[in-house]
Amino acid sequence: MLFWTLTAAVLVTVTGFLSLDAPLFGDRAIMEFDPVALFAFAGLMLASILTVVLHRKRMISMILLGVVGLLISLGFAKLSAPDLALTQLSVEIVTVVLIMLALFFLPQYTPLTSSRWKQTRDAIVAAVIGLGVTLLTLAVLTRDLSPISDYFLKNSVSGGGGTNVVNVILVDFRGFDTLGEIVALSLAGLGVFSMLQRMSLHASLNDHAGRPWNVDERSLILQSVARLLFPLMLLFAAFVFLRGHNLPGGGFIAGLIASLAIVLQYLANGITWMSSRIRTNMHLVIAIGLAFAIGTGMVSIFLGYPFMTSAFTYLKWPGVGKFEVASAMMFDLGVFLAVVGATVMILVELGKINVHKVATGDSKKGES
Amino acid sequence: MEILVSISIGVMAACGIYLILRAHTFPVVVGLTLLSYAVNVFLFSMGRLKVGAPAVISPEAVTYADPLPQALVLTAIVIAFAMTAFVIVLALKARDELGNDHVDGKGEQLTDTEEAGL
Repeated sequence: MLFWTLTAAVLVTVTGFLSLDAPLFGDRAIMEFDPVALFAFAGLMLASILTVVLHRKRMISMILLGVVGLLISLGFAKLSAPDLALTQLSVEIVTVVLIMLALFFLPQYTPLTSSRWKQTRDAIVAAVIGLGVTLLTLAVLTRDLSPISDYFLKNSVSGGGGTNVVNVILVDFRGFDTLGEIVALSLAGLGVFSMLQRMSLHASLNDHAGRPWNVDERSLILQSVARLLFPLMLLFAAFVFLRGHNLPGGGFIAGLIASLAIVLQYLANGITWMSSRIRTNMHLVIAIGLAFAIGTGMVSIFLGYPFMTSAFTYLKWPGVGKFEVASAMMFDLGVFLAVVGATVMILVELGKINVHKVATGDSKKGES
Repeated sequence: MEILVSISIGVMAACGIYLILRAHTFPVVVGLTLLSYAVNVFLFSMGRLKVGAPAVISPEAVTYADPLPQALVLTAIVIAFAMTAFVIVLALKARDELGNDHVDGKGEQLTDTEEAGL
């Protein structure tokens, strides 16, 4: 059944292509690549393939996944997308911490269950899809584009009051879209929170070779450095947030950096130490963030404009100089708070199962 | 450059699909993450590739990269993280309820030492 479905899919695609006169590739001039780019992309492909080859050793596969993400971040930086590079970089770190936390409660190795024939079949399916995606991308990239983005590039400074067009699109032109995205992020955070309530997992007390895990509470070096870094990281987040409208940065990236600062403290000092110091409930942070974002949009309704109409003006502050105040900044603040709340909540809730397990000391699940 | 990017997207998509077809939850999560990388880079490349032309308005700039796909992908990266978090917690929940990490929840129960015996 599966075989026939796949064969039909491939046949339809191939006949579709062959029955048209248009060539597969267009005639747009393609860019030369330099040795550095070749090296980086070769590394990217190698890391992806190794993730698959070594996927049964889960820890190694997870580290290689991190390598893939960091190389993609480099690629974004090369291909004129500094905002994406910053976002990918910070998301990658958060993702690796997340997968690492989860891996603690899962087996460290994947047992071999599928037969050689099934592996070959899956590899063929994957290779055909990969080939199709490559050809599709190349077919698009060799053709010219008449984008609608000229509108955004022309109106970014006059209409949105910012020179970083990507950020102006996010918080101004397509603010409604971004509102939907932060709601989705918050819902994922709340979903994770509710699923982790009263969950108790079996985590083994030693690694696969029978050696017990390190019982030391935490590393003194990491602890000292992390405490020094905390104010600096928050300051950097504020800096990235404030420059976001005009230079690469903005609410999403600043939010991720601030969450990293907080999560680093949790990693270095432990849940108990931190929860006696950060009493703020992350639900509240998410709620305030969403309220800021929606509230900024509502103000324009009360003033008689459509939802989320933005306004900006320039202020002169003695000693600082001329700077811009935009209503979009308030919306970006909402994005910032929602991202911090959701990210910290996801990671801290995952870390808390750990405490529960150590406190009870049982190795099998107690309650269900 | 276009060829390199296309092949990379293809390789990441293929690796992601292969891992999603595995029978245990952890490789599926890793595969979903790889596939989401491939999709993000694919969407980003739809604005065509440009080197040294960030979409920041300045008098000296001659040309700009397409900002629209960048804005869409920026949020997509964050949403992909949220999705990964949700799926991996689902995997933990399944392990809690069913006692194993098979995607159908019907895998034979192995202890950690047996699993390590590869």
